[in-house]
Amino acid sequence: MATTTSLKISADVEPRQAAWVRWLDLSDRSLAILLLAPAALLLALIIVYPVCRLAYTSFFSLSLTSGLPAEFAGLENYRLMIDDPVFWETTWNTVLITVITVPGALIVGLGLALMANLPFRTQWPVRLSLLIPWALPLSFAGLIFAWFFHSEYGVVNDVLNRVGLPGVIWFNSPNWAFAAICLTIIWKTSSFMALIILAGLQTIPRSLYEAADVDGAGRLRQFFEITLPLLKPSIVVALIFRTITSLQTFDIPYMMTGGGPGTSTATLAMYIHQNTVSFLDLGYGSALAVVMFALSMCVTAVYLRMIRTKE
Amino acid sequence: MTTTTASGPGSFLSGKPLRAIAAIILLVNGMFPALWILFTSLKTEGELTAKPITWFPHAPTLQNYMQAFSDQPLHLFLFNSFMVALLSTVLTLLVSVLAAYALARLNLKHRGLILAAIIAVSTFPLVTLLVPLFEIMRTLNLLNTWTALVLPYTVLSLPVCTLMLVSFFEGIPRDLENAAMIDGCTRLGALFKVVVPLCAPGVFTAGILAFVNAWDEFLLALSFNSNPQLRTLPVGIQLYQGEFAFPWPVISAALVVGIVPVAVLIVIFQERVVSGLTAGGIKG
Repeated sequence: MATTTSLKISADVEPRQAAWVRWLDLSDRSLAILLLAPAALLLALIIVYPVCRLAYTSFFSLSLTSGLPAEFAGLENYRLMIDDPVFWETTWNTVLITVITVPGALIVGLGLALMANLPFRTQWPVRLSLLIPWALPLSFAGLIFAWFFHSEYGVVNDVLNRVGLPGVIWFNSPNWAFAAICLTIIWKTSSFMALIILAGLQTIPRSLYEAADVDGAGRLRQFFEITLPLLKPSIVVALIFRTITSLQTFDIPYMMTGGGPGTSTATLAMYIHQNTVSFLDLGYGSALAVVMFALSMCVTAVYLRMIRTKE
Repeated sequence: MTTTTASGPGSFLSGKPLRAIAAIILLVNGMFPALWILFTSLKTEGELTAKPITWFPHAPTLQNYMQAFSDQPLHLFLFNSFMVALLSTVLTLLVSVLAAYALARLNLKHRGLILAAIIAVSTFPLVTLLVPLFEIMRTLNLLNTWTALVLPYTVLSLPVCTLMLVSFFEGIPRDLENAAMIDGCTRLGALFKVVVPLCAPGVFTAGILAFVNAWDEFLLALSFNSNPQLRTLPVGIQLYQGEFAFPWPVISAALVVGIVPVAVLIVIFQERVVSGLTAGGIKG
């Protein structure tokens, strides 16, 4: 309502302007097109055209190492994929990482947020300790934790030894390596979760808790009946973004294990990267990417639907 | 009454000792990895391979830092990272200010549709475009240039920044712009002379997020810029690894050098970053 009236005012007033200035003062429609054009151009170059090209290339047999020209291969790349055990393994690893680290980061993040929401006299150290893990590059976190989990000089084994447990040679066994990767991802991503949840916590009116106190509800009951339900919207958004970024997991396993031992900790993103950059097999790399694209579009669709129902 | 308000809402922990425990857990969780890598970077090779391992460096040395700069062109990695992040931040802000203004102020017929499209793009897995982007950069002869990274990084941050700026612009009263236009400003003039300065904190926050996004990116930098002279920091750090040796103290020193610039940004602008992140920031 307010929009239309204020626009009318600006249209009614006819300021004295030089001709060229008036020419620059375009109509809303053409101005909108002009303002949105740079963004649209960039998206067309970096997203829309590549997506089309991706789908197209996935139907070709195109390997730069063979030196042969691209040859139409139909669904050959996809057929190869179904028979490729590494494809299934890396996809499984990616899904497993998502299923473990997304809820893991949520639980740790919720704990951190509840602690950070306590009435500390000085706020900045708390805030900073949530921001540092977020700002640390994923690849750095991978390297730092690779050093943490070092079998001989790592601090993790040192702590284990001090409490009387035997150290673990983390990166020699697929299961331990996988566990180390998941722990690192949870550490790296839980702070972001905590920041989002903390912002949600701070919007919950205190009067609700006071009323619950009057009614004699215990702290635990207040948490489950007031805090959690009111946090749900911010948690859901954070979870969806985490799920989508988790499907693209690359940096941390690449830095920590390089996918090893064997391909036991490799993710789909790492397999795409290997096929594209190391093997230069662009056709197969594209077909793999189409699968990941489909996976993440499913999650995005759920997200968009949720936003729409909220409105 | 006072006891209830003294403890934060939703917490079933309260009291001083619990608060102290919570503070220690938070600080250790957040700071320990960065501190540990700082300690490691100050240790000599000899101290590092001593068993049992030492926690604090006994004889702190800056030797590893000197070696980090002399073994590999660390200053170039820093420079490349900085320039790529800076250029993509500037480009992101420029493009998203224009787009956000159109979305916030002009009555667009398909506003809802465009916003939905932006949200969809914000969740877009750039990894999947590795092959076509690699081909495009190869065709345009852009492999091993800053441009090869600046363009995709801009797209990476564009949706978040646009969404953030739309909400900031909507908070500015239209009368201010109208007044400027009555005084003879064009719409675009009013945008850059009135709206952007009034939203400076918001624009700045968006800029920090874009900068951190670009500073952190690894996969595209690894795939497009393999020339040691053009590597960004995360990719360049890999060059310290020898065939068999893994010089942890030197790598730690390089990591500390890479963490400091972003840490400084975060320390100075922490409140702003938190508000930006929670307003619509997206990053795992």
